[in-house]
Amino acid sequence: MSSSPTETLIDVTMPQMGVSVAEGTVVAWRVEPGDRIEADATICEISTDKIDTEVPAPATGVVTEILVPIGQTVEVGTVMARIAVGGEGGSRPEPLDGGGAGAPSGGPQAQPLDGGDAGPAAAEPSSPSAPPTSRPAPAPTPATPAAPDLGAAEQAGGNGHRRYSPVVQRIAAEHGIDLSQVPGTGRGGRVRKQDVLAIVESTPVEEPPLHIESPYRPEPVPPPAPASAAAPIPGTGGELSRIRRQIGEHMKRSLETAATCTTWIEVDMSRVQAARARLGVTALAFVARASIDAIREHPAMNAWLEGENYTLHSDVNLGIAVSLGNEGLIVPVVPRAHELSVEGLAARIKDIARRARSRQLTPDDVHGGTFTITNPGQYGSIMATPIINLPQVAILDFEAVVKRAVVVTDADGNDSIAIRPMTILGLSWDHRALDGALAAQFLATVRRNLESVTP
Amino acid sequence: MATHTAEPAAGGAAGVEHLTNEDRIWLLRAMLLMRGLEERAMSLYRQGRVPGSFYDGYGQEAVSAGAAFAMGPRDRLCILHRDLAAHLIRGVTPSRILSQYMGRAAGITRGRDGNVHFGDRNLGCVGMVSMLPDMMLVATGMAMAFKLRGERRCAMTWFGDGSTSRGDFHEAMNWAGVQKLPVVFVLENNQYAYSTPLDKQFAVDPVERAAAYGFVGVTVDGNDAEAMFDAARAARERALNGDGPTLIEAVTMRMHGHAAHDDMKYVPKEQVEEWRKRDPIERQEARLRAIGVDIDALRASVKAEIDAAAEEALAGPMPDPATAVEGVFCEREAEPLGDGQAPWSGFSGGGA
Amino acid sequence: MPTLTYLQAISSALRDELRADERVLLMGEDIGVFGGAFKVTDGFIEEFGPDRVMDTPLAESGIIGTAVGAAVVGMRPVCEMQFSDFISCGFDQLVNVAGKMHYRQGLAVPITVRLPSGGGFSGGPFHSQNPEAWFMHSPGIKVVAPSTAEDAKGLLHAAIHDPNPVCYMEHKHLYRRVKGEVPSGVFETPFTARVARSGSDLVVIAYGAMVPVALEATEDLDGASVEVLDLRSLVPLDEEAILDSVERCSKVVILDEANATCAAGAQVAALIAEKGFESLDGPVVRVATPDVPIPFSPPLEQAVLPGVDRVKEACRELLAY
Repeated sequence: MSSSPTETLIDVTMPQMGVSVAEGTVVAWRVEPGDRIEADATICEISTDKIDTEVPAPATGVVTEILVPIGQTVEVGTVMARIAVGGEGGSRPEPLDGGGAGAPSGGPQAQPLDGGDAGPAAAEPSSPSAPPTSRPAPAPTPATPAAPDLGAAEQAGGNGHRRYSPVVQRIAAEHGIDLSQVPGTGRGGRVRKQDVLAIVESTPVEEPPLHIESPYRPEPVPPPAPASAAAPIPGTGGELSRIRRQIGEHMKRSLETAATCTTWIEVDMSRVQAARARLGVTALAFVARASIDAIREHPAMNAWLEGENYTLHSDVNLGIAVSLGNEGLIVPVVPRAHELSVEGLAARIKDIARRARSRQLTPDDVHGGTFTITNPGQYGSIMATPIINLPQVAILDFEAVVKRAVVVTDADGNDSIAIRPMTILGLSWDHRALDGALAAQFLATVRRNLESVTP
Repeated sequence: MATHTAEPAAGGAAGVEHLTNEDRIWLLRAMLLMRGLEERAMSLYRQGRVPGSFYDGYGQEAVSAGAAFAMGPRDRLCILHRDLAAHLIRGVTPSRILSQYMGRAAGITRGRDGNVHFGDRNLGCVGMVSMLPDMMLVATGMAMAFKLRGERRCAMTWFGDGSTSRGDFHEAMNWAGVQKLPVVFVLENNQYAYSTPLDKQFAVDPVERAAAYGFVGVTVDGNDAEAMFDAARAARERALNGDGPTLIEAVTMRMHGHAAHDDMKYVPKEQVEEWRKRDPIERQEARLRAIGVDIDALRASVKAEIDAAAEEALAGPMPDPATAVEGVFCEREAEPLGDGQAPWSGFSGGGA
Repeated sequence: MPTLTYLQAISSALRDELRADERVLLMGEDIGVFGGAFKVTDGFIEEFGPDRVMDTPLAESGIIGTAVGAAVVGMRPVCEMQFSDFISCGFDQLVNVAGKMHYRQGLAVPITVRLPSGGGFSGGPFHSQNPEAWFMHSPGIKVVAPSTAEDAKGLLHAAIHDPNPVCYMEHKHLYRRVKGEVPSGVFETPFTARVARSGSDLVVIAYGAMVPVALEATEDLDGASVEVLDLRSLVPLDEEAILDSVERCSKVVILDEANATCAAGAQVAALIAEKGFESLDGPVVRVATPDVPIPFSPPLEQAVLPGVDRVKEACRELLAY
């Protein structure tokens, strides 16, 4: 038996000779394992309760195994034998049998027989009598024409066992009504829909119920924190201020709405430090300018996402987070910041920060921002996970600049240790609007911009 | 009322007059393709790749090939289960036919109905139902519309000896006769309705019934493709000229069982042997050999076509179960049947 | 707007269709020269000729079967069964040839079958039937049943325009007893239900001749507010309208003139039990003709067909539940 690399095994299955036939019996094999057989030549003879017939081989090849012995009855679709097809290919052209006894002719395919319904699975009972899928529930007993019989009356009182119809229960649940208190005017004192609706209509909704009249239903309420034996812990306070609550709601909504991710990058600020000393401006201005330039290359960072509405902005209205001390923070906006130079940005940032702290900002000042930078680094913190200022899609966090020992590589590729002022820029971004790759590219561009500033 | 005119079984001479050699080769090719496709399908059936039942028209290929060949592109056909050659002549491809048998998505009914219960509406064919001969009335109705609109078109329908016992046969024959409609009724008398022989089916020779309904009935050798063609051609002419219906009784023999699961033990072997000598394909081949046609080349070409069709059909997907409940109602404008192919040379001159 | 009887509305629809669309063809027994058993097509043959108002042989299977043939080559046949009862002679062609053709072959069969239905005039078992349930149960066939003159015209236009086989159940009892304002010209009534009277305590669901019975029985029923929903279309069945009425009224009485078992009302009841359960304040009640052939002698016939008194009683009992 050859076993070429292209050999495939073809199943010879018990065919279905008639719609209601489910099984057949092998009565004779014309081959043994190892024999070669041509496609359409008879490989075995079977007997069913409708007909005795010969089974043609589905392919040309070598019989590898006989699985069903003579005399055994098997179900339609059972594999009875296998033929190995391979090497030189199987089919041999045969003339159409014009006057023969109806023997099937025509060669099958040389390739392995495939198709969506490979052999055994195809020989299923012909009429798919799949049981019906869900049917509507059978109707309740239909009324006889003469006198509709509406079934047993409800029992009222006595053991207090009453039954309520679906609509009555639903209305009662919706309005918190105790059905055991509802008088029924239906048959046998049954509570009808009108009865429970009457309670609903007569129950004032807005007023708090009187102590003795309310349809109060106890609800499981979590027990209050167990009072300890010791005295309560002293402290001052009360409710949050309005601005605190507003900030809190804005932050919470942002975290609940945006798919917030944060990416960080390290930046060598040597050149920026040198430049700011020369120009007398803050590092923040350089970061702002570098970010605006990076936005030019990655415009998707400068967008709004409100629900399903996505707006790409060409103007960069730069929001700068300003701390108001214990009272919170505010984000005034430098409009059309892209038109400003580093010095211009520094001046505008200084101005809006001053006005923010002296409570001189107008509503226009905090409106329309397309990108925000937050810069709390003066206390020494190095990284944070800022919260996106909705509906913007990104916020850049600029923390402390810290001298570190870093590896530097010279033009010849030699590494050495140097002391450099480093900072870590963090970008929180909304994964609904953009992906990590873009965030990383943006940060890389900001870094490139900052590390190529003219010192 | 016109009396029944019995025409002698048309032999080769009468047929030749309207047929070119190309036409006669076409007839043979259609029969070879029908037989080859049915043999291939039977083989696939025995391999378990054809669900349900399988019916063939082995030995009576000339009845559908000859009659359908006389139909024009704008004529309409109600084709029955042993008339595969008619579908082929109208233009249904072998690949789609095998897909149809295997219940695949590429079949004409996309798996909604099985075996030969199909009709490509784009080619002017109406798919049959199992209640026979319901389609006789549909064909009568199509002919009625042609007449009402004054169109020179006819309808043709095939039906078997058994089905002439049902009421719809009589309603259709009567209706067609009363309204003198352009319809051709092809009665395939293949000697058996399942296991029921003719003497349990009628008390008269069925061709005589045409006279009872007021129109012409002819008996034709159903195994002579050219004779079948000529009878159908003449019937069509009669119809288009306003002379009403024709009943063509095509006498033939069903050489295989009723369906694949039927071994026809009830048929006397002598009867089978007798009819084997009159095989329609052999007869047409003999005619064409006599004028020098290369039969072997033709057979090889047909086989290649079938091989390619089987390959294509086997590669096709089964229908998506999610579509099982779609298409019960038509949700757009109703489109009437389209025109089919009509390869007879008699139509190429812009014939009727 | 003219006031027409239900029967005149049907004639009007047929006449307007014949005038507007040359593909329309009327086929039936005695509809041409005689003008129809109920005179629906009286005078038509003079205007449209015997080819378009065809007197067919007595062959229901033939009428339906040839209509299918004519339809698939571009005509719009409107068949008449002289009495709906005789559709059983054409059942095979309607259910197996017409109904299944599009699903199997993608071939549309735009035929309309007019079925003069119903009893109440001593017609006996073979002239009084309401066979719509047979065809609701056969995939591929639409079924409509008007109860007003306006709907009789609008539904018939819509049925003729529909590319599918449509059974049009015209109720004989309503022919001359129901009158109403009917718009002129060709217009379509959608295959949806119609609230015949709004209410809130209980809804009676009915169609055809049972609609006027429902309206009369519940007009003045102890001050109760009773809604009457006229189904108008059985296939497709207007689930949304049915469930809406049930939600608002919570008590349902379903009326069938047809024999009770598996009548259209049984399908409505099953639908409500499955999808309207949470709105119910009482069992779903059905009032229908018992499973008997419609008898001929008046006291027997009146005993089986649902009348105003039986409907009143069923409603009263359910209201009090």
